[in-house]
Amino acid sequence: MKKLAIGLYAAITAVLLGWGFYQAIYVAPEEQTMHEVQRIFYYHVPSAMVAFLFFAISLAGSIGFLAFRRGRAEWAQICDAWALAGAEVGVVFCTVVLITGPIWGRRAWGIWWTWDARLTTTLVLWLIYVSYLLLRRFAAGPQVQTMAAVLGIFGALDVPIVYMSNRWWRTQHPAPVFGGGPDSGIKDPAMLAAFGWNVVAWLAWGLLILGLRYHVERQQQKLAAQEAQAALDDN
Amino acid sequence: MDQRAILDHQFTVAAYAITWIIQLGYLAWLAVKWRARKRSAARSRLAPR
Repeated sequence: MKKLAIGLYAAITAVLLGWGFYQAIYVAPEEQTMHEVQRIFYYHVPSAMVAFLFFAISLAGSIGFLAFRRGRAEWAQICDAWALAGAEVGVVFCTVVLITGPIWGRRAWGIWWTWDARLTTTLVLWLIYVSYLLLRRFAAGPQVQTMAAVLGIFGALDVPIVYMSNRWWRTQHPAPVFGGGPDSGIKDPAMLAAFGWNVVAWLAWGLLILGLRYHVERQQQKLAAQEAQAALDDN
Repeated sequence: MDQRAILDHQFTVAAYAITWIIQLGYLAWLAVKWRARKRSAARSRLAPR
């Protein structure tokens, strides 16, 4: 039953991704100043939104781990698995943002990169979470999860800074598409629909791989606990 | 198709292709990791105590 539900969800996600692609490439009209290259927007912005959401999940997991680590070991492990899964899948989406952005920027601005506030804070966010993953991968000892949780909380503090950067400072990056004042927002309904479908599709995809990553981490935790117990039994 | 439109098209295709390569590459890596964990779990169940 569980396998069937996951298969059904994966099939719906695949259809959504196909539909989002069709809307972005064939249905949405060409933007007047940037022309075809503006279609990168339909992958770039949803990826950023999903990355922010997953970093928020990582933040919640990190806080949960620190809250439960002394009294409720099992809950703490579950929170830790969510924190790791959120950080890792968030990094995947943030990588997409940091690659599609410069490709778009090269055509729109004539440069691959500029050290403006939006781009720089996004790169810092990516670097913080990559360091989180490297810490999880290479450090050993009983304090690794605690150190990672603290780093995860500090990393998440950069998310609102990234979001507000092109409101607080003058940037090369375009003004906010949503919530940026009376002139912001997508005026064309077909463009708005293409954007909305891609947000839904990439969110569905992100949740699918987030769930899979969480499952793999829980398997790893259970295996480690079994091995530790077996080692104790042998002594 | 003029030169600008061709370049616009190439850049758009590159952005979309890279997005899919990253996402599917990550999924493939996750699937490999999942299988490895499953095998390890099965081995630890079978190992004599």
